[in-house]
Amino acid sequence: MAVSPLIPPPPHEAKVTDTPKKTEVNSTERLLHNQNTIPFFHSTNEREVTEQLNDDVRHKYIKDKRLGEGTYAVVFLGHLRTDPSSFVAIKKIKVNAEYKDGLSMDAIREVKYLQELSHPNIIALHDVFSSKDQNLNLVLEYLPRGDLEMLIKDTDIHYGAADVKAWMGMLARGVWFCHENFVLHRDIKPNNLLIAADGEVKLADFGLARSFADPYLNMTHQVITRWYRPPELLFGARQYSGVVDVWSMGMVFAELLLRVPFIVGNTDLDQIAKICEAFGTPTEDNWPGVTRLPNYLPADANHTLPVQGRDFFLRQFPTAGPVGADLLMSMCTLDPKKRSTACQVLQHGWWSSEPKPTDKKNLPRKTDGIKKMGADLTRRGGDFDDNTTFKNAARQLKFTVARD
Amino acid sequence: MIEDDFYRTSSQFRLWSFTAASLKSLRATTNSVASDRVRAAIRRAQEARRSATSSATGTPAPDGDAGGSSSKAEEKPIECLTPEEEQQTVSYYCEQIIQLGENYKPPLPTIVRATAIQYLRRFYLTNSPMTYHPKQIMPCALFLATKTDNYYMSLRQFADGVPGDATAEDIIAPEFLVMQSLRFTFDVRHPFRGLEGGIMELQAMAQGQGTAAPHFSGSQTAASLQQGLLALPPNPNPSASSSSNLTDRIARAHHTTRELLKTAAQITDVYFLYTPAQIWLAALMLADRPLAEFYLGTKVGVADDDGAQQESPLAALRVKLRLTLNDCAAMLQAYKPLASDPDQMKTLRRIIGKKLYHCQNPEKVNLGAGGQKRIPAAAAAAAAAAGVDSGTSGSEMERLAKKRKLEQQPQQSKDIFGGELVMQRTKER
Amino acid sequence: MPPVRDAMANRGDDDEVCPVCKSSRYLNPDMQFLINPECYHKMCESCVDRIFSSGPANCPVAGCHKTLRKARFRKQTFEDINVEREVDIRRRVMQILNRREEEFDSKRAWDDFLEQREEIIANLVHGTDVAKTENDLQRYASENVRSIRANQALEVQEASSFKEQQTHEQELARLRREAAKQEYENERRELQASREDVLSRLAAGRPGDAAAIAREGKKVLLKKSSARRSEEDRIRQKQAALRNSDARKAGQTGNTADKADAAGDSGLIKGLKKIVTPEPEKPYDPFGGMVPNKRDYYTLRDFYPSSYLDPIRQDTRMQAGGYDLQEYYSRTLMEAFAGLGCFVDEEVTRRDDGDSLRSSRPVATQGSALAAVSSAGTPDAS
Repeated sequence: MAVSPLIPPPPHEAKVTDTPKKTEVNSTERLLHNQNTIPFFHSTNEREVTEQLNDDVRHKYIKDKRLGEGTYAVVFLGHLRTDPSSFVAIKKIKVNAEYKDGLSMDAIREVKYLQELSHPNIIALHDVFSSKDQNLNLVLEYLPRGDLEMLIKDTDIHYGAADVKAWMGMLARGVWFCHENFVLHRDIKPNNLLIAADGEVKLADFGLARSFADPYLNMTHQVITRWYRPPELLFGARQYSGVVDVWSMGMVFAELLLRVPFIVGNTDLDQIAKICEAFGTPTEDNWPGVTRLPNYLPADANHTLPVQGRDFFLRQFPTAGPVGADLLMSMCTLDPKKRSTACQVLQHGWWSSEPKPTDKKNLPRKTDGIKKMGADLTRRGGDFDDNTTFKNAARQLKFTVARD
Repeated sequence: MIEDDFYRTSSQFRLWSFTAASLKSLRATTNSVASDRVRAAIRRAQEARRSATSSATGTPAPDGDAGGSSSKAEEKPIECLTPEEEQQTVSYYCEQIIQLGENYKPPLPTIVRATAIQYLRRFYLTNSPMTYHPKQIMPCALFLATKTDNYYMSLRQFADGVPGDATAEDIIAPEFLVMQSLRFTFDVRHPFRGLEGGIMELQAMAQGQGTAAPHFSGSQTAASLQQGLLALPPNPNPSASSSSNLTDRIARAHHTTRELLKTAAQITDVYFLYTPAQIWLAALMLADRPLAEFYLGTKVGVADDDGAQQESPLAALRVKLRLTLNDCAAMLQAYKPLASDPDQMKTLRRIIGKKLYHCQNPEKVNLGAGGQKRIPAAAAAAAAAAGVDSGTSGSEMERLAKKRKLEQQPQQSKDIFGGELVMQRTKER
Repeated sequence: MPPVRDAMANRGDDDEVCPVCKSSRYLNPDMQFLINPECYHKMCESCVDRIFSSGPANCPVAGCHKTLRKARFRKQTFEDINVEREVDIRRRVMQILNRREEEFDSKRAWDDFLEQREEIIANLVHGTDVAKTENDLQRYASENVRSIRANQALEVQEASSFKEQQTHEQELARLRREAAKQEYENERRELQASREDVLSRLAAGRPGDAAAIAREGKKVLLKKSSARRSEEDRIRQKQAALRNSDARKAGQTGNTADKADAAGDSGLIKGLKKIVTPEPEKPYDPFGGMVPNKRDYYTLRDFYPSSYLDPIRQDTRMQAGGYDLQEYYSRTLMEAFAGLGCFVDEEVTRRDDGDSLRSSRPVATQGSALAAVSSAGTPDAS
């Protein structure tokens, strides 16, 4: 038999004897190992250099249990072969699930940008390897504490302004770093903000990300989950900037404070209507050029609302305090030219005002977030969990998350 | 410098940057591994053919033929490509990518083509053209680049632009293989955007709107920068027209540099050996050396600036940078497009048309059919439709079928270079 | 120690006579005896005034040459001067060696410490190895100034917070009593009201409804009281949680206080926990340690003249969409210089060398690693 000398032997049982999962680990391992040896029996015994490299990477990890499955991906819990206590999440992307043109754009974008971005508030991509049947496996940082959506929805969890500040700070840092590297995330929402064991918030799901800033280059406006989508995208803008993500951040901020999504449109049109209701009607005065945007719809002349000022935000979000309300307002400005950039958000006075952001290790947390990570990572960019439209229903998870 | 750390985190620096020596040894290893395998595979194919014929005629296999290759007027020992020949072959197909990009309306953006070229070059660091023929890999690399560089078109649309009879399935078949060889890093850092930035700043300086670099905030002013530019000696480059207008001079340098980046920078090894910032500045040096040196001087100072203290970190950086940029510029300058050079074309014809035909690994010819290469169902179906008799099992039959496919390909693919030359070879028979 | 011996020898003397001026309590009933912990020789108040008022002077007792200061004279607490002295020594040593049990790795280490402390006290009391012991003690004191002070503060705090807690608990108990009284009162009043309600409805309604009305009345009452109970529970839980969190916070501040000087110990005390010095609380940095907009090769401007970009500046639609030329400037100039000072040949060689030692970061497999793998793959082919 011609097993390459580079393939490490399976781990000795002694390593895992004292864990109750012993049998499970070993059977998974045996299965994996057997699968991997099959190609070696091929008549020629030849392995290309790239396959060899790939196998080296693949053999560093052992897949444990399945955490979640969607139409787009399956997520497994895994660990390092050399260290059973260092966990990873392995996201196995189903190639050609519905797409004849090779690897889907979501997967390409996710891999492309995560390979380049390394920051404490961005989910780390440790490795990528291919398994049999040309499946792409992303070895991602293991984030066992669920996501912000979970914390927002869990009525048993109490949190305050200092906690919101800590979460927002981590989110804003992650987004700022993306923008510093000229990458737009384009799908910021609470269930894409995962939480690490130490409480750190990590920006995940780069399936809609792209680089930006080139002139004369059209970008799609069909990005960002509707409730978090800024008005310029709803109006069909094809040239836009980093502040599209800032709007989404503002919506997450508001949601953290209210504990329900802030602006919940049933359709794109409804979303625009509700944004106008909340913040005021966009006009050429408060947003020069808005009427020239491709999908702009003139508002009802009898029903134009003035743009909301500080008072509105302070009334609506008393927990944020006056300084926090001011920051939120700067993130939810209708005209993208007047909206704060991610850098300006971080330069705001709110961060240094009282209360001080909670230390990340003292933040409220949930313990059963692992399943949620599984569900979050199998979702595909732009999906609602609870979307009712047919198109999205097809993408619904087979795996439903047990929430308490 | 903070900008340098920005580059150090890139996958291009982490995975795809080499020293000249490590690059050479990697290519040599790839070549020798592939050569061994090709020889073994061809031998196996010959044996299979022989045993097939002998069993067909009923004659027993000649005895004492354990070695197989030792008997008969065995065709000459298989001559494999050298690493240099492999490199020339790859370069040729890189140039083809530039051409192929023109087939589309509108033509594919420069950056997409450049990305595809780098994919192809990275691919052939660990793969040999003897194993995977570049004519099969090249369209796939280009299509992948359209996806990774956000210039998306459907595979069908893309396939329409590819000359020859390559179907959509043929094009996409090696995608996974390509991605795996790229080690799943899709981001390529090009020098194009950097050039735009530098030119933009030079134009601002020329119009008296320059801003001092942080380390020279004491000595540089908008006026001094403009004065410096105005005082530049004329461009010694013989092809440069002598116009006194500074803006025009910068625009011309911009144009020349850009052309160098689109061609020489793509086909040579500079992406592996230098950083994008070094590449565009080296190209600018070839286009207009005084201009480039002045600009560099505004960033890292000139020798007289710190006179006595030659030991300053900035001086060390300057010395190293000068050497590096000169090396890079020399490499760019040495590039001659293959297609426009009859001598090189003659060599290439020999390499790709004859040699590569003989040393193509027969087991890897059809990426769509079995072997270790796992393929999407669509491509497999396409392979089956292309005449592989799926009914006959056994690896020999499969190999023969593949051989057949290889032989019928030349007649069909007219426009891809490889096809045309292989056709000559068929005539020779 | 000679003076001590003298003091002991003096024990038999009449306590009512000043050993210095020989005046007697019998003649002067207000006479007070004072001692100085330097030598513990007793003398009357007027002697102290007379001898030491003009500054430090030698002890007047024959053979004792200690220099004494007036400020340190005090009344004797214990009748036995030896006990007095031992208590003084103990107090001084305890103030220096004031480690706390939670600072030790184990119970055993703590016990060892207590024993060691007793031994030091005994040495000083009985005059064994005094010079060395004093020396050790002083060195320890100077090396552990911070921890000594922190623990002293902690003791003071504990003493006062114990008092506070007692009063706090009394106050809580009072509140609870009042709440219970109030509750009882409310319940009584409601009962009364609902009875009246039932009665009035009975009076107004038809006779057949009587039973139903009475039943209903009871149910409403039950509901109300159970609702009230759960509300009370909730409040009580909340208060308990608050108390706990207060306690936790107090504990945390305590911890930070006593975590002081970690290393630099002369090793007098063994088995102390390794103290991780808490990082001094830094102001919150929204950028997480990075410096926004810092550049080394160029200074970004707000505007760059460019005929290529001019149409964008005039395009209201692009402007309305938020397209920002500033981002373009920033990106092109960043890419113009990103890596200008990275010398691939140097850095890659260094990195490859370093990487062969640690294989933790797998993504970064470089040229040499690639080559190694490919050559390792060769044997299969032959």
